Amino acid sequence: MGSPVKRALLGALVLVAAIPASAHHSTTAEFDVAHRMTLSGTLTKVDWVNPHIVVFIEAMGAEGAGNVAWKFESNPPAWFRRVGVSRADFAKAVGQTVTVEGNRAKDGSRYGYLVKFTYADGTSLELVAPGSDR
Amino acid sequence: MKQRALLLTLIVVTAVATLAAQTNNGHPDLSGTWLFSIDLPPIALKRTTSGGATTVKGIDASGRRPAAAAVAGALPFTAAPAYKPEFRAKVKDLFDHESRTDPVFYCGRPGVPRIGSPRRIIQLPNEFVFLYEDISGDPYRIIPADGRPHKKDGNPSHYGDSVAHWDGKTLVVDVVNFVDDTWFGEDGFFHSDAMHVTERFWRDGANLVYQVTVEDPKVLTAPWTMAPRVVKPSTDPLEESPKCVEADSKLLVNDDHHGQR
Repeated sequence: MGSPVKRALLGALVLVAAIPASAHHSTTAEFDVAHRMTLSGTLTKVDWVNPHIVVFIEAMGAEGAGNVAWKFESNPPAWFRRVGVSRADFAKAVGQTVTVEGNRAKDGSRYGYLVKFTYADGTSLELVAPGSDR
Repeated sequence: MKQRALLLTLIVVTAVATLAAQTNNGHPDLSGTWLFSIDLPPIALKRTTSGGATTVKGIDASGRRPAAAAVAGALPFTAAPAYKPEFRAKVKDLFDHESRTDPVFYCGRPGVPRIGSPRRIIQLPNEFVFLYEDISGDPYRIIPADGRPHKKDGNPSHYGDSVAHWDGKTLVVDVVNFVDDTWFGEDGFFHSDAMHVTERFWRDGANLVYQVTVEDPKVLTAPWTMAPRVVKPSTDPLEESPKCVEADSKLLVNDDHHGQR
């Protein structure tokens, strides 16, 4: 409700310039949208919760450091449902090596906003600006 | 045998038509499943196969946005409510710090009218049932339409106490008795416990039109009527919304807005 056109335009500009905006807190208040990080590791868990789904990754740390746990949140479950993605689409990869791309939390924690999820077989799911197929 | 089958068909058709007429009492049929109207990211999903083929699928958020064109039957509307001078600084402060102050960002219930139009409407002869899907949970509203007044002993709530009546082909839902901890719009539009909401629903062809007027004499200088929303029918059935677990507030490093509506 209460959606002035200028806000929609601002949102569109943000989309073009950076990662998809969150339906929740400000994306730029939390994540470094200017840089996209890539991480490979084992998918250990999927939380299908509001306001953001969360995937858990065990990534190889520096030599001798053992595995390092990362979390990446993404869009709300209701959004994923409407673009045809269910929890099972992520959960089927639990235990497998996956590659995630996203924007890291500005506070430096091992937390990010998931933008692209690539399965071991090379298939991927990616959040893109509307109209990216045109 | 053929005659019996024909007779049976006639009886069934007559019964269904009679039931439909009774259900609507001659009023427009608002029942059905409608497009979502909650706030979702205006983002698309790109799928890429291992062979490199791609498909992109977006979402239709039109049910949440102000109607793109003039809507027949709509009331005059304005972009924003007019607050009394002594409250304007508060609205600005809430808006400027929305990532920290907006209750919805913390799994709070949006309440009426921020939740938007229902995902499903069940229309009975003297009663409506509104069903919603929302990030904070899936509320329902049972709304009498038999001429009764508001409850005298109801507790204040996020979705208020509703009664409905028909004004021609428009269903008018009158809502009062709210708690005062919701916003009626994203931009820091707080309200008092005196808020009075009037929701109007009517059909525009296959679509449902939803328009809201908010009155709050304690904080507003005048009633505020919002732009109408045109909500398309949907074949997407309702699904229980997963629980809401807020995990981001501790990661906020500034007061940037989320830049999305």
